[in-house]
Amino acid sequence: MKILVTVSESVDVDDDFEVSEMAIDERYLTYDLNEWDDYAIEEAVQIGEEIDDVEVVTVTIGPERTEEVIRQALAKGADRAVRVWDDALEEASVLDPATKARLVAAVAREEEPDLVLTGVQSGDYSFGATGVALAAEMDYEWAAVVNNLDLDAEAGVASVHRELEGGVEELSDVELPAVLTIQTGINDPRYASLRGIRQAQSKPLDVKTLGDVGVDADDLRLSLSLSSLYEPETEGEATLLEGGPDETAGELAELLRERGVDA
Amino acid sequence: MDYGLTDEQQQIRDEIRRFAENEVAPVASEYDRAEKYPHDVMDEAAKMGLLGANIPVEYGGAGYSTLETALITEELFAVDPGIGLCITSAAFGAEALIGFGTEEQKEEYLEPVARGDAIMGTAISEPDVGSDVSSVATRAEKDGDEWVINGSKMWITNGSVGDYFVVLVQTDPEAAGRYNGFSQIIVEADRDGFTAEKITGKMGIRASDTAELLFDDVRVPEENLVGNRGGGFLQLMQFFDETRTAVAAQGVGIAKGATERALEYAQEREQFGQSISEFQAIQHKLADMHTRTEAARQLTYKSAWSVDEAEDQLTMLASMAKEFASRVAVDVADEAVQIHGGAGFVDDFDVERFYRDAKITQIYEGTTEVQKNIIGRELLGKGTFS
Repeated sequence: MKILVTVSESVDVDDDFEVSEMAIDERYLTYDLNEWDDYAIEEAVQIGEEIDDVEVVTVTIGPERTEEVIRQALAKGADRAVRVWDDALEEASVLDPATKARLVAAVAREEEPDLVLTGVQSGDYSFGATGVALAAEMDYEWAAVVNNLDLDAEAGVASVHRELEGGVEELSDVELPAVLTIQTGINDPRYASLRGIRQAQSKPLDVKTLGDVGVDADDLRLSLSLSSLYEPETEGEATLLEGGPDETAGELAELLRERGVDA
Repeated sequence: MDYGLTDEQQQIRDEIRRFAENEVAPVASEYDRAEKYPHDVMDEAAKMGLLGANIPVEYGGAGYSTLETALITEELFAVDPGIGLCITSAAFGAEALIGFGTEEQKEEYLEPVARGDAIMGTAISEPDVGSDVSSVATRAEKDGDEWVINGSKMWITNGSVGDYFVVLVQTDPEAAGRYNGFSQIIVEADRDGFTAEKITGKMGIRASDTAELLFDDVRVPEENLVGNRGGGFLQLMQFFDETRTAVAAQGVGIAKGATERALEYAQEREQFGQSISEFQAIQHKLADMHTRTEAARQLTYKSAWSVDEAEDQLTMLASMAKEFASRVAVDVADEAVQIHGGAGFVDDFDVERFYRDAKITQIYEGTTEVQKNIIGRELLGKGTFS
């Protein structure tokens, strides 16, 4: 059985930052493994530990810098990695989910996975769309926002719980091959072990261009571009009450009374 | 010359930091106050394979060199020296087994430590033996195919939580020469006649276990001898350079952690209508702390690198790194408290703990004075044993 896991980096911006033209200055940015992807990797690695002959392959659309988070995934137990990047992508200000899905699908067609796990969303852009767009592109079954997964590999069925609005859980059976978008909390992601980090350095990490995965660079059809970037004016302020409910309830009531909220 | 860390080394550093921030930082004060060994954190560290960082891969460890181990030590100590020491000391004594142990000993004693199923220790100091290691008086006598051990060991890290110890004993008191006649013997904590008494009231590194070990006719099989009979002192000496480098890394970590906290606090704390980091007096303190920490780090990394790459310069470098980094740790922690003002005098802030934790790095694994003696001797071209 082969599991493909999408792995991306997510950018964290410091509390204080400066916008210079169309970007936030690099000084204020920290790149890390996308939180949702951490859970997707853990889910795949756990499946690999439970049943025999599972290969976990990660796929990333990103520049060389993303190899840092890819090595994290390999250190946590993925078997090998594919990274797709191209000068043509470097020029795009934002990669829209449909384009990302097309590129991941190009890799998936080559890999022919039984199961694709993606994070529900990325922590920075938060589109939450790449996983389902990928399913459409591949014509695979899918389930989004999965917070519980029970896989019957022999029958080729994934029994999933989906976390819906308002605390509702939907239970579905999804036939493989399928794309599942994984919600945080589904498992307890491990730290990369020291041995894992050591082994990760020699695991295969293939770097491919658009041409290598059969996508024409002149036919990227990017549907999004960044038109402006600014810091919204602060209009009001928040009061943060710290402490337990026994202290803060009174403070809150006092504040509301002061502001004219009265029963 | 290459001054950068490899991708792998950076990955180790980042993952250790993540672990320490999530698993150690939230409980550091609690274990410090209670003077309690952090078994729960140790379980998590074991899952990550942290306890056998330097144990060879074939015995279940990660097989990392002194430099990587130093990076691990630095990151853990930057978050909490007490729990950092618990984690990095779980394999104390393993180096003797790696260097001189038999295949059977390595399998029996190294693998459980790497798995997190056992804690080791090394027992050298005695109530009357500190810096002068050659006056060790704990005695092991051969009786048939067993060693019979009598005496006591003092200040033993992991003493009351450890499962087995590599103990430096006198086996041949009549041997000629001041450094002969000593041997290293493995003693399991469950042997009859073995007792450990936890030492409490330590100023710092309070989560780490320290105990006095008492040996009253403790019998162990002859195959518990590590390496050569009578070669214990020289076997031990071979690793002093590495263990001193490890303490240097502890000092760098403490200085790093204290500087980070001082920098953060200086930017938050406002006095006279501005953040105190705006005052040049504070900026100069921070600049000095950061600079000295980096200088200690470079000395430490060079010493760690020399373990594998340039052994001829190691002894002097290890003593220089240990002496300097431990002094920087004490000074920087002191300044960090100063920058915190009154807030730094109570244990609501980590710097109070760092200030107490720093001092031991100038004392254990050879005091500051012993390190300077070694540096002086090396400078004057006199060997350590001349």
